[in-house]
Amino acid sequence: MAVAAPPRSELERLERVWLPRPGILGWLTTVDHKRIGLLYLAATSVFFCAGGVEALIMRTQLAEPNERLVGPSTYDELFTTHAVTMIFLFVIPMSTGAFGNYLVPLMIGARDMAFPRLNALSFWLFVGSGCFIYTGLFMGAGPNAGWFDYVPLALRQYDPGPGVDFYALGLIFNGLSSLGAATNFIVTIFKLRAPGMSLNRMPLFCFANLAASLALVIALPPLTVDLVFLELERKLGFQFFNYARGGLPLLWQNLFWIFGHPEVYIIVLPAFGIATSIIPTFAQRRMLAFPLVALAELLVAFIGFGVWAHHMFATGLPTTTLVFFAAASMMVVIPSTIQVFAWTLTVVSGRPVFKAPLLFMGGFIVFFVIGGLSGIMFTAIPFDQAATDTYFVVAHLHFVIFGAAVFPLLGGLYYWFPKVTGRMYHERWAVASFWLTAVGTFTTFFPMHIVGLLGMTRRVYTYEAGLGWGIYNLIETVGGFILASGVLLIASNLLWSLRRGEPCGRDPFFGGTLEWTIPSPPPHYNFAVIPRVTSAYPNWDRADREIDERRLDRDEPSLPDGHRTPSSTVRDGLPDEVLAMPSESPWPVLVALCVSAIFALLLTSHYDAAGVAACFAGLMVVGWHADEPEDATGGEGLLSAGGVASSRSSPERHARANGWWGMAIFAASETALIGSIVGSYFYLRFNTSHWPPPDTPKPTLLAPLVLTAVLATTIVPFRAALGSARRGERGRALTLVGLATCIQAAYLGVQIHLFTGDLTRFTPQQSAYASVYYVLLGAAHAHVAIGLLFDLWLLVRLSSRLTPYRLIALDAICFYWTVVVAITVVVLITELSPRI
Amino acid sequence: MGRVRLRAVAVGIFVVLAVAGCGGDQDALHAASSQQSSIVELFWVMFGAGCVGGGLVVALLFVGWLRRERAGLTGRGGDDRAATRLVVILGVAVPIVLLSLLFVWADIFVVRSTAAPVPGSTQLTVRVIAHQWWWEVRYPGTTAVTANEMHLPIDTRVDVIGTSADVIHSLWIPELNGKVELIPGITNRILLDARTAGVYRGQCSEFCGVQHAHMAIAVVAESPARFRAWLANMARPAVPPSTPEQQAGLRVFLSEPCASCHTIAGTSARGEVGPNLTHLATRATLAALTIPNTPAYLRGWIADPQAVKPGALMPSVPLTARQLDELVAYLDHLR
Repeated sequence: MAVAAPPRSELERLERVWLPRPGILGWLTTVDHKRIGLLYLAATSVFFCAGGVEALIMRTQLAEPNERLVGPSTYDELFTTHAVTMIFLFVIPMSTGAFGNYLVPLMIGARDMAFPRLNALSFWLFVGSGCFIYTGLFMGAGPNAGWFDYVPLALRQYDPGPGVDFYALGLIFNGLSSLGAATNFIVTIFKLRAPGMSLNRMPLFCFANLAASLALVIALPPLTVDLVFLELERKLGFQFFNYARGGLPLLWQNLFWIFGHPEVYIIVLPAFGIATSIIPTFAQRRMLAFPLVALAELLVAFIGFGVWAHHMFATGLPTTTLVFFAAASMMVVIPSTIQVFAWTLTVVSGRPVFKAPLLFMGGFIVFFVIGGLSGIMFTAIPFDQAATDTYFVVAHLHFVIFGAAVFPLLGGLYYWFPKVTGRMYHERWAVASFWLTAVGTFTTFFPMHIVGLLGMTRRVYTYEAGLGWGIYNLIETVGGFILASGVLLIASNLLWSLRRGEPCGRDPFFGGTLEWTIPSPPPHYNFAVIPRVTSAYPNWDRADREIDERRLDRDEPSLPDGHRTPSSTVRDGLPDEVLAMPSESPWPVLVALCVSAIFALLLTSHYDAAGVAACFAGLMVVGWHADEPEDATGGEGLLSAGGVASSRSSPERHARANGWWGMAIFAASETALIGSIVGSYFYLRFNTSHWPPPDTPKPTLLAPLVLTAVLATTIVPFRAALGSARRGERGRALTLVGLATCIQAAYLGVQIHLFTGDLTRFTPQQSAYASVYYVLLGAAHAHVAIGLLFDLWLLVRLSSRLTPYRLIALDAICFYWTVVVAITVVVLITELSPRI
Repeated sequence: MGRVRLRAVAVGIFVVLAVAGCGGDQDALHAASSQQSSIVELFWVMFGAGCVGGGLVVALLFVGWLRRERAGLTGRGGDDRAATRLVVILGVAVPIVLLSLLFVWADIFVVRSTAAPVPGSTQLTVRVIAHQWWWEVRYPGTTAVTANEMHLPIDTRVDVIGTSADVIHSLWIPELNGKVELIPGITNRILLDARTAGVYRGQCSEFCGVQHAHMAIAVVAESPARFRAWLANMARPAVPPSTPEQQAGLRVFLSEPCASCHTIAGTSARGEVGPNLTHLATRATLAALTIPNTPAYLRGWIADPQAVKPGALMPSVPLTARQLDELVAYLDHLR
């Protein structure tokens, strides 16, 4: 093979360095956010079809009373898997994984996400979790206790088959993917914006994804804890939910809905982001009340954490509790009404062009309003107690999910199709597909309000004749097929246009955001010149775009050496440093394979083998981290590249590094995890008379106190090590880290000894107290063990060279230990609380 | 005895007709109590306000459509102060006012009228224990026990105390009040107070397993006199067999596994797993309102419960045709 000719220009140098690996291997090892976005699009489309088929089977079964198309067990698997698929395997991965991944870097002027390999890992974990869950369904052992899987029904006593295990382990698995993705979005949006893009100039699409990701980091751990409790009870006989041993069935519901309610905002927020991208473009004006809309998106995510018990209004909670949650639920309406009127009045006060994407936004607004109004009705407690668990709720949730989350996705597919493919979709066909889908949606879901009020309850595989429900169900079934044809029409339009669509340029719709400044389809490096940004609608700033074009004409692309993108400060978007980005890597898909093996082995109760698989996964992670990014150059490279003056003249680091942010987000999620277990502890405690139960010894006081104090002291050598490392004293830093590690290892050793000693005196299977005691301690110790693994990595690295990357790692790990110590103190107080 | 039988038959026919053909039995918008009336009133007002609000948004979008591609407007948005003020008025101020009104009405006033009564403050208390997939109904202070049917005197506040013997179920009588979850280990309460006589259909409203769809309950509201007569009958032990065939049927019942799951008061059958059958023939339906209670259906149900209610916990007991005839003759006699 001949040596490649030298590049003829800087631009060609940039192109070459960003060329992807060819073939299937290229796709399997890709870390390019655009390719990963398309992979997500393909996978989520398959899951959407699966969920749709499940829905159509159910609708056919319900079209008439006393139908016998499917039996009750199959029907129960269908409605469970339909919901799990649509929520976890379709709507969230499509809106964040496909749209978010593809577009966020383009909208902020970056060349990739902050953690490209983590991005790939999130995708492969997602695929693995989907296959895991569907393996159960295809084996005839699909999840069958509903997507909210209430206990005691989901316990082994009432549901002995593996279906619930597929559900629980599958969702824990899926959660790993989501957490990685959320971390990536937060750090990307915080740190990788083009210089000049301060937070208030960031597109609303990014605000929406940021809000959803922040919410996910805190909302997902309660679900994980709930699922872990469930599996421990099912597999190992722990006693969280069994009232005979001090457990509480309602514990499941509380933890589930503490996750579940923020989850619905996580579902809908990225779709709001799509709407706020499409509406200004086709209204041909800026979004009205931009700061208010951005604030509303963040507020929805925040207030959404305080409303969960409105899913439990019929469970016998005291009236005061009901009233509090009803009030909070009403408060969360306000950010949505702000947005509805902002969107609508933007269209009215603009010069709207009613192309297909805007039509879908119109449908989105109307259906969101219908769904929102039925949601408001549920804040009236007596009405909720009548309508909850009926088809009225099914109507509400489908209007808000299909109407408010899926319509923007469908419109977004049309809107960004030209950008991704370089071809235009067929407009008239698209308008027809909108009307078909909209009519189908309304026909399927509106009658459900009526039939719910006529008394039809949810999750019934059939119903009696003579109750007046048949006609509505028949209409809904017809609507379902109309809806399916609408979706098929959309898909066929896009597939046809892929080959035969009119070629279009880089900006067919005169959009305002940065993705429209680059060619369609985007080059592999996204931006030849990192764009100059001085407003929230940079593509409408002709002067800035001309400056960028002139730089390109002079063959001055940004950072043509190596695989690089700039990073900036969080609030003001000032240039910070230049990041070296990884290219194709086999580690994400390999780690995902190992993780799939872990979950499969846990499902079949082969715990030792699962441990071995975990070790393999660990080895893969080590391999992953053997490849460190090249040393980052300072900001001076940026000053000439970006053309934006920074407030500093020296290239020193100004903002926290991406790695530190990643660790901080991980720490936040772990805090939420421990917090959920602590919350469960106190919930169980205050609903039980004997705590601990009579046959269980009270916790000892002295040993835990001393041990926690010892652990806390290790912060001192760590901080000192950080100080030494910052001054370049590698040897000293190494010694201090080594000292801390020894103390921490000794701490863990003693704790494990005490833990196993406790196990000989009382077992978790004895009572809820014992179960939560062991899980809480186990979780705390697990976090110390993880910290020790970090320490080990650090010791190996510091024994060779001290690089800026390793310095960031030391900073991050030091922060991690601070959080672990705080966690340990909280766990200590909790465990010792019976003695206070 | 004759009067009880006639009444039972009358009610039975009425219920069968109602369940099978008339419709409107489980219609939450058809209130038969003051509690449900307040809920229905709440609904219609919210619906009306919702129509206005939703109509406003649709109208605005329509105005947007009318303004499509009009000439002259450029600049990507000019002075937005007026429009932003409108967003704040429509999006913040008006919703706050309306939601506050709704909150006070629904969550401070109406919620008090629909809430469970203070324990011991009502004339009548009924206990419901939910099972997979049937309802056990008891009348504290008496020995009356029945299944899948509850009788109440009209115009009487009744405190229904409920729990579950297995998983979470939910008791809902749409025409009388909201629903209440029945959770193992906890007792929850709901107020029922029917205004008019009639049969009100209710259904389990929390997914409870494979036959959740077939777990309905009939609430029969009747005059206080009728109710007392019914209750008195329920408290009596079972009617002894009066023909040789019925006697044979009782023998079959006691010698086959039936007695290990079912109780017939006054006999040695004391099973607690399945419904109490002491007055089975007074009930209009079987299997929690799944099939009518006629000899033919009863025979089919006993012969093969899984054909009627696949997944039901009642096993198929192999019986000869003769044994089935005798059993049905006996059970059909239990008024």
